[in-house]
Amino acid sequence: MRQTVLKLLAPTTGTASLVAHLAAALLVCALLLFALHRLLGPRGRRWLIAAVTFAGGLFYGLEYFLPAHGKPEKNFLTPWIEPVSVALTVVFAFTVGLGIYSLCQVHGRNVGRRRPGWHNSLAFFAAMVAMFVSGLWEHHLRLPEPLPAVVPWPKGVYEVLFNGLYGPLQAATFSLLAFYIASAAYRAFRIRSAEAGLMMAAAFIVMLGQVPFGRWLTSWLPAAGPLGSLRLEVLGDYVLTWLNTPAQRAIAFGVAVGALAMSLRLWLSLERGTFFSEQS
Amino acid sequence: MGSLEHANWFMTALFCTMSGIIVGSVLLAQRGREMFIRRIPGLSAIEEAVGRATEMGKPIFFSTGLWGIDVVTLQALAILSYIVKLAARHATRIIVGTADSTLYPVAQESVREAYEAAGAPEAFRAEDVRFVSGDQFPYALGAVGIMARERTATNFLFGAFFAEALILTENGRALGALQVAGCPDPVQIPFFIATCDYVVIGDEYYAASAYLTREPTVTGSIVGQDIAKALLMAIVLAGIGLATYFGGQHMDHSWLFRHLGTGR
Repeated sequence: MRQTVLKLLAPTTGTASLVAHLAAALLVCALLLFALHRLLGPRGRRWLIAAVTFAGGLFYGLEYFLPAHGKPEKNFLTPWIEPVSVALTVVFAFTVGLGIYSLCQVHGRNVGRRRPGWHNSLAFFAAMVAMFVSGLWEHHLRLPEPLPAVVPWPKGVYEVLFNGLYGPLQAATFSLLAFYIASAAYRAFRIRSAEAGLMMAAAFIVMLGQVPFGRWLTSWLPAAGPLGSLRLEVLGDYVLTWLNTPAQRAIAFGVAVGALAMSLRLWLSLERGTFFSEQS
Repeated sequence: MGSLEHANWFMTALFCTMSGIIVGSVLLAQRGREMFIRRIPGLSAIEEAVGRATEMGKPIFFSTGLWGIDVVTLQALAILSYIVKLAARHATRIIVGTADSTLYPVAQESVREAYEAAGAPEAFRAEDVRFVSGDQFPYALGAVGIMARERTATNFLFGAFFAEALILTENGRALGALQVAGCPDPVQIPFFIATCDYVVIGDEYYAASAYLTREPTVTGSIVGQDIAKALLMAIVLAGIGLATYFGGQHMDHSWLFRHLGTGR
């Protein structure tokens, strides 16, 4: 059975075969969805979601916890991991279309109703079409590596849009963080309570311990012996390693157990009260 | 220690024990056992934050973070669901920004169901649940754009956040919004504490749905979670004792460590 599934999921060669596979897959999916919508009411749909969630959790859970042997370690469920992951990727790929639909819906209404800033939405459509066309065209060209001295214009357009515009814009946004960190730190370090005072003191020690000036300030203390522990770089390291790390690990422990509890609630559909407005 | 692509016996035993404790607590709660949850200021502030938006007549913005469908974002959706019900009762508009196309339809469905549960299905506007962008910084800028254009009075940030968090919260603060954030990542929490009015820290994040809904099932699991944490603390203390007894560097060769690490 696994071989049949793998054969179905394997990449196809040739345009006709690809189109036939796509058409068949879309038809089967559409029929399945139509049948589910027609046959199942809201209650039936909830049961279906609960059943699929339970089966999915059981599959991954058993694969992880059942004894595995050999190199690499495998149990009888391990070979199914890849086909299941491929199937999930296909399902996720469908949602990209929904994302694009959402963007077009919001920006289309902005343009259609001439809302304030509608020209930004127009720029969105222009950018999306330009990237879509140039990206597909550039991919279709299949240019050799290294690139020829004169590249075809679709490749040039793609390079300008992606590497020349999108990349630098992302970098510029990232660089803004330096200023935001400074302004956030300024507010956080104002001593308005005992806790804020402690945080300021800890931050002062750690920051000075990281920079040459801080090291220079206490360089007159002997490196060895009890007084060496008072050097700023040693104190800073102490705060980070012995005070900060245990606190972070304690939070991480709590988060991990919390995630386990949440996962169990979802797996057993006990969380339905939250998502479906009624206690299960 | 060997690879943990598959669990060893100790992990399996620990997982089964902790799961048993959590499920047992859920069953006890479902049978009517009273369970207490301490006050969590970050979650208590949600009503105040929604009330502020209502009084100002301005919308609320909710960010689900960067990740797609996983435990962190599903918990964010649980919190979103509660906030939507609260906002629907006060006829306050809520705008949701997602950064993952797989999460977008789930979030939309969650919001629609929450409006229906609050008895205000007509208040649901599909365009208010938006896929902003799949990339980190375009998402941050898109979300800040929503905050600025819609003049949101309250911003909720629940989910998985990274470097973009400061861009969101610093701009939100500059726009005068009250901000409540929650994130299970210990690295990200300090940034939220520095920039937000209220922050839900660590495992409080996963206690949110129990705290807000007070449903026995979820409340029971939170109590079970605390008992499981006590068990982990006992194991940590035992580990400290054993490490002290064996003298640290000899731990790798000890019988216990061999069996915990690679034994099956």
